[in-house]
Amino acid sequence: MIKEFLKGTTAVVAAVLLSAAALAAETKGPVTDDLGVVEIPKDAPIVIGGYWVITGPDANLGIDSQRGAEIAFDEIKNTIAGHPIQFVVEDDSCNAEGGQTAATKLASLPNIVAVLGPACSSAATAAAPILWKQGLTDIGTATTAPSLTAPDRKPDYFGYMRTIYSDLDQGFNDAEYFYKELQCKTLATIHDGSPYASQLAKAAADHFKELGGEVVAEEAVTPTDVDMRPVLTGIATKKPCVLYFPIFVAAAAQIIRQAPEVADLKDTKIIGGSSLAAPGLLEAAGDSAKGFVFTNVDISPEVMGQKYPEFVNAYKEKYGEGPTNSFHAHAYDAAKILAMAIEQVAKTDDSGTTYIGKKALHDALFATKGYDGISGPINCNEHGQCGAFNFAVYQFTDGDPATFELGKNPKKIYPKQ
Amino acid sequence: MTAIEKAGVKARIPQIFGSLHKFTYVEAVLWLVRISVVAVVILGTIGTLIKGTYSSSQWFAFFTFGLTIGGVYALIALGYTMVYGILRLINFAHGDITMTGAFSAFFLARSFDRSGFLDAYPVTSMVAIMLLSMAVCTVTALVVERICYRPFRHVASLAPLICAIGASFVIQHTFRGMFGNTVRSYPDPEWMKGTIELAGFSIAIVQLIVFGMAITAMLVLYLIVQKTKMGTAMRAVSEDRDAAALMGIDSNKVIIFTFVLGACMAGIGGVLYCFVYKQIYFFSGFLPGIKAFSAAVLGGIGNIPGAMLGGVFLGIVESMGPPLFLDGIGIPAPYQLRDLIAFTMLVLVLVFRPQGLLGEALAKKRA
Amino acid sequence: MSFDVVASSRIEQRQITPWRYIAQTGVQIGLLGIFLGVVGILGMFNKRPIIVGELTLGYATLGLVFLVAGILVGSRRLFASIPQTLLAGLVAGTIAATVFALLPIAMSLISLRSIFVSLDPTLYEMLTFGYRAPVGIGQIICLGAVLGLLGAALTELPRSVRRPISGGLVAAALAGLFQELLRPILANSKVSKPLHDLLYTWGGLTLRGAITIFAVTAIAITVYDLSRDRFNAKFQSLPSPNRRRIRWGFLAAAIFLCLLFPLYAGHFIGQVLLTVGLFTLMGMGLNLEVGIAGLLDLGFVAFYAVGAYVTGLLMADSPFALAHMSFWEAMPIAVLCSVVMGVIFGIPVLKVRGDYLAVATMGLGEIVRVIVLSDAAAPLLGGAKGILQIPRPVIGDFHLNNPVLLFYLTLVASLVAAYAAWRLEESRLGRAWKAIRDDEDVAQALGINLIQVKLLAYGLGAAFAGLAGSIFAVMLGSIYPHSFQLIISINILALIIVGGLGSLPGVALGAIVLIGLPEMLREFGEFRYLFYGLAIVAVMRLKPEGLWPSASKKRELRIDAETLAVQQGAATADAKTT
Repeated sequence: MIKEFLKGTTAVVAAVLLSAAALAAETKGPVTDDLGVVEIPKDAPIVIGGYWVITGPDANLGIDSQRGAEIAFDEIKNTIAGHPIQFVVEDDSCNAEGGQTAATKLASLPNIVAVLGPACSSAATAAAPILWKQGLTDIGTATTAPSLTAPDRKPDYFGYMRTIYSDLDQGFNDAEYFYKELQCKTLATIHDGSPYASQLAKAAADHFKELGGEVVAEEAVTPTDVDMRPVLTGIATKKPCVLYFPIFVAAAAQIIRQAPEVADLKDTKIIGGSSLAAPGLLEAAGDSAKGFVFTNVDISPEVMGQKYPEFVNAYKEKYGEGPTNSFHAHAYDAAKILAMAIEQVAKTDDSGTTYIGKKALHDALFATKGYDGISGPINCNEHGQCGAFNFAVYQFTDGDPATFELGKNPKKIYPKQ
Repeated sequence: MTAIEKAGVKARIPQIFGSLHKFTYVEAVLWLVRISVVAVVILGTIGTLIKGTYSSSQWFAFFTFGLTIGGVYALIALGYTMVYGILRLINFAHGDITMTGAFSAFFLARSFDRSGFLDAYPVTSMVAIMLLSMAVCTVTALVVERICYRPFRHVASLAPLICAIGASFVIQHTFRGMFGNTVRSYPDPEWMKGTIELAGFSIAIVQLIVFGMAITAMLVLYLIVQKTKMGTAMRAVSEDRDAAALMGIDSNKVIIFTFVLGACMAGIGGVLYCFVYKQIYFFSGFLPGIKAFSAAVLGGIGNIPGAMLGGVFLGIVESMGPPLFLDGIGIPAPYQLRDLIAFTMLVLVLVFRPQGLLGEALAKKRA
Repeated sequence: MSFDVVASSRIEQRQITPWRYIAQTGVQIGLLGIFLGVVGILGMFNKRPIIVGELTLGYATLGLVFLVAGILVGSRRLFASIPQTLLAGLVAGTIAATVFALLPIAMSLISLRSIFVSLDPTLYEMLTFGYRAPVGIGQIICLGAVLGLLGAALTELPRSVRRPISGGLVAAALAGLFQELLRPILANSKVSKPLHDLLYTWGGLTLRGAITIFAVTAIAITVYDLSRDRFNAKFQSLPSPNRRRIRWGFLAAAIFLCLLFPLYAGHFIGQVLLTVGLFTLMGMGLNLEVGIAGLLDLGFVAFYAVGAYVTGLLMADSPFALAHMSFWEAMPIAVLCSVVMGVIFGIPVLKVRGDYLAVATMGLGEIVRVIVLSDAAAPLLGGAKGILQIPRPVIGDFHLNNPVLLFYLTLVASLVAAYAAWRLEESRLGRAWKAIRDDEDVAQALGINLIQVKLLAYGLGAAFAGLAGSIFAVMLGSIYPHSFQLIISINILALIIVGGLGSLPGVALGAIVLIGLPEMLREFGEFRYLFYGLAIVAVMRLKPEGLWPSASKKRELRIDAETLAVQQGAATADAKTT
């Protein structure tokens, strides 16, 4: 008996060790797939994973994205190919170790076909390889780090794609705007030590230099700083034409409040980034946010059709409040293209059992072209970059958080119709 | 062995730290630290002055920023210092106690602001906001004292410190659970806006108000401690608890009174902090708490004027340090390193002058 | 540093009447319930089912709160007769529920949501069981009364009945709570699939499953209890070498099964265990500093960071890399660098003691973090963007590239480290550490070289963290400065305190409770640190020696039993004076 037990154990050990090796082609029912086939018995749910930051100080970022995806599933009545959707969302705490744990947990779920999220690039960097090892495609919804979809990315990341633009995209557009539209020749940037802000500030500064402008200061603060006057005073001595700070709400609100108190900054244009398109900014900055300008993707109805306002209505109806952050549209689009791709590759036999090939799903997702999303057109390239940056500039018109509504407060001021 | 006997044993061991001098490598490292800090300060200052980036009015601005935040640090530092003076322990949760008052008062301030009361009756509404903040701080401080300090009062160990670390977490996350994790914005009434021109330099009114109120609060506290009977009792307990008890002083009452006083100062400090920086969220108390503790140590812990001096000094160094020391030696993004300056000062003081600027060697009474 | 030195004493005793105790308990438990509601725990727990469609974790928690009221008054043995005790439980439960009912009453009268974010309509619906306020509130009070009564009854039951009931309830609750983990394990194997179908559906545990688990556990406990004495008698009658052989056999089998468990349980459990293992490693290091040498260090994360960054810089396929070593070359260097860092760290704070030391080391730890994150150091360390593309460890051609395999690596490292820690503790150096912990001045008077001994404590403690950091770097494949916050230091301190200062098994237990449990219940991450705080305070107040005290601590406690009784008497008496 002990012998048999040892034999069994050896088999298990071998299985675990082999799981490290590449997955072999698998055939189940009518489907054969290089990465494996998910078999979903009749009435069992199709499991779709999601991981975002849903706890801690950045929780709004993740919860907002999760809601975006939930609304997309609501629209298709929470069913794909005749099966109910079970949407399992894990928290990644917006850091690499959280992303790793969340991805490991999702990858272990039975019947999981693909994963949405995350919002933080550090989480994606750790998580995407783990998911891909299980043959799962991961669609990032607010992860803007250029390296994730760079042409030279490692094979570990081949399962990763995203419906959001890259920092390089936004930085490029921002610099173009500062230099060409605002006619500015000097730029100062502030980041807050987060990978997102430091990358974006650098991308904008780099392109600004390429255009022939001068970057007079590249400063940094910490997200918990409250006294920005010293750093602003320091920047003011360099007399920049534009001060660009693509940082998160708390520290950005301090800059917005305190910039008017620094007399030498009168002639400087104060401009923030996409992460500030949130009612939280008004909550934190109050009336001083009135007139504040930031760059963002263009989500106005003129460009996107009526879909976005409809989405916002659905959001309000479901959650009792408007969108709380800026990346819900990308999550919505990600959920939409995922649902379509599953529908496309799923094969159901006579008994009602559905088979989904993971490689087929991956290929279908990467082949998404010309999809008219609410965050902009979705066109995937072979490196998984699907979102583009439709540049726009928004301005807040009121400081009361209750009046927050993308399109009205803040309203679009560039490009003009 | 009782505490008194133990102290006796210690007194009989002459100059225990004298033997450290045998170990030159330790001394060498410490001197290296001293020299490098002094070098950074001197070289940086010279570098900045030669570059001449900042005008004198800007230096004055840095100075007033520092003075304002320093006044707030000083108010919070008083709580640390008084509790240390009486109980010889660090009230690790004090920063979070400060947050509780300011966060609760936020809701009152917001409703005053929305109804226009704050603009119409500035003094009344400020007093009401402060009182609420002080009350909440007091309640929290007494609960923390009751749960974390009183059971260990007769026991010399690290237990109260560890317990207070736990309490700090409980307070933060209770408030996060109650009031959410969004950053809230304190109101910005009209009468606080604007600046005053003074001999060619401009000072923001809010800074004047805050610094003035901080000074007033500290003066009142100083009078309480120096002139009232309770204050005398506090000083007696701080000198020697057992002897004070023999003189008929109820040390329990004195300890509670001390916590209440410290919490009231924290309540005022928290509200002032929020009126300058306009933001409050559940974690707002932690960092100012640590900074204020540094200020208390800097001034000489257990010493009330020392805490005030330490607070103001720390505020000024924090505000002027990055442009003055770090800019000059060409460090990129010097303002990111502001906390580094505060922590370095804390460590340097603890290592080189644990008695602080004004204090006597209180540090050795502990242990 | 120790927890049982009486510095001054004042002993008073004050009795309170039984009914006052009951009222007090009821009010306190009711306030606890309100607290759980206001901070949002009840609302969040209510989203998680224990039994699909029947019972949520929220209701279970609320019920448990009222049950505790009954258990508290029952176990106090206030009355001699059973009916009186039952009445006491009933009264305590009713009072608790009445106090608690103030929350839904207040919610029905005024809208509190603009201040208290958790008091939303969903919570109100939960608290009133979906009925209108008077009916719902009446139900709460009835529920409290019944559960208080049950709680008191539970304490009056004979042990042979109480154990199966409570064991069965706990087992069923755990099976429901951890369904996400258990389900994949059961479903993925052909053998256990029928069991899975018996207990679970797609949504979670079924009522049938819960009853099955309850019954099976209860029967198992009863059988065990009934046959234990017989077994023991038989076991004792065996000759002693046989007994030892059997004992070792059982131990070996248990260890063997534990070792195999992650292989069966899958990658997620492997990942959780891996994290627990890393924190256990660090805990053992900090234990040398705090538990044995009495040096309270709140900057411990700095050594972890050094281990991770050195490994990253030596291995990564990135522009910041200094070399492209293998893990086995990089790891010893990383550990060595941590040791050096520990000594450098230790030198300035040699003379600093007690609370001051805690704050000074916290300052040093923060300095390291700020520097690592800063733009000033970015050209060397990558700044906020971190260091990416760190390869996994390789043995021959074999890649340790999944969490289970990395867990075994960590396990081996932990065992080696535990052996080292154990030998160190028993060595001359370990005794010197204990001497400086108990009294630095006396230790020095006895000829202990304080500087050498303290620096060794910092250096050797740091080695453990360096090893953990090194594994952390290859586990993630990328490192960011945001992974090295002050909170990590506090986590480690908390886990060694909860486990038991100075106790090696305590460290592992503390890591399982404070790291493993929250990792498995990630959706309650919001309340993770609230749980930490409460755990620290509770342990300090109720069981200062920790959950699994070290043997020497137990010995001390036995010897000092009298002193301790006096001290606790003083503490409780003192607590009762207001």
